[in-house]
Amino acid sequence: MLEQIARVMFWFGVGELASRSGLLPLPAPVMGLVLLYVELTIRGKLPDDLGILADRLLQLLGMLFVPAGVGVIAYLDVMKTEALPILAAVIGGTAITIFVTAIVTNRFGQAFDREREAGQIAEAVRDVSP
Amino acid sequence: MSALSHFAQMWTGLADDRILETGVTVLAFTTAMRIARFGGNHPLLNPTLLAIIFISLGLEAAHIPYASYLRGTDIIHFMLGPAVVLLAVPLFRQRATIRASGRLIGVGLAVGLPVGILSAVGIAWALGASSQTILSLAPKSVTAGIAIGISEQIGGLQTLTVVLVIMTGITGAVLAPIVARFCRVDDPRVVGLTMGIASHGIGTARALQISEVAGAFSGLGMGLNGVLTAILLPAICKLL
Repeated sequence: MLEQIARVMFWFGVGELASRSGLLPLPAPVMGLVLLYVELTIRGKLPDDLGILADRLLQLLGMLFVPAGVGVIAYLDVMKTEALPILAAVIGGTAITIFVTAIVTNRFGQAFDREREAGQIAEAVRDVSP
Repeated sequence: MSALSHFAQMWTGLADDRILETGVTVLAFTTAMRIARFGGNHPLLNPTLLAIIFISLGLEAAHIPYASYLRGTDIIHFMLGPAVVLLAVPLFRQRATIRASGRLIGVGLAVGLPVGILSAVGIAWALGASSQTILSLAPKSVTAGIAIGISEQIGGLQTLTVVLVIMTGITGAVLAPIVARFCRVDDPRVVGLTMGIASHGIGTARALQISEVAGAFSGLGMGLNGVLTAILLPAICKLL
């Protein structure tokens, strides 16, 4: 397990260096994510302990945002003057984004699935017919 | 008297060592999780949101300044980095499904990225927000680490952007499961992708509770939306 923690910290660290180099507009953790993914793809296999570590820590992902969220509450009265446009933009804008993205993507997803099914049927027919 | 001062000293020791702030945060979150489970994991009972409310009320009641609480929770905040790196694991496990869903992911980004920016900017502009506020709002759906950079480039206020990003994340984590059910969208790939694009890491935390497929697609949506927005938004702002 310790080995896997070291692996994660290693890629996080390399990600930090890569992020500071300014080659890509990515923060260190996202850079680390990409690097770890590439390493796993090259290995072709997920170490058991790394899977366990990810499952455990990601279960708590929501907790890791709590300090930052408390900071938001502290900031609320600073933006009092523009509270209405800000709240409307954040809540309304996010609701619209979710609504539109979910509906449109779902429609296309269903169409893509039908297409694939049709392709599979066509293939099966071709296989059967002489 | 000396016992009392000893007690007070012990207490400050705890606070200095971050044990108190970290412990309170963990306790607040586990309590929030229990409440959420008791309420059948209803989206409105989002554990992150509940824990934030508990702690804010506690700090308010005990007259503890936010800054000193935040200083004491830097360990929890630090863990966010390794946790995001570990999102590579669900992505790797779901790589076959992801590879087979290339076009779906493309559609999600082609819709979610512009709608995310334009809806927020449009509403704020219509309600007469200042241009600095509008610019700070533009990258609100992007994960904080990337959004800060974008905000700086296009002339927004970095601190305001961080606040807006987190508010967006919580809003998305709460609303997305409700909207998905309302629109009868039950494809976990679509739900996850939408949550990641609209509400980054906080949405991903919620998506992971739905299923691993939803979590993986949310992590992917968050990453791709972040990278593409970082490339496109400053370029478009320069053109305008």
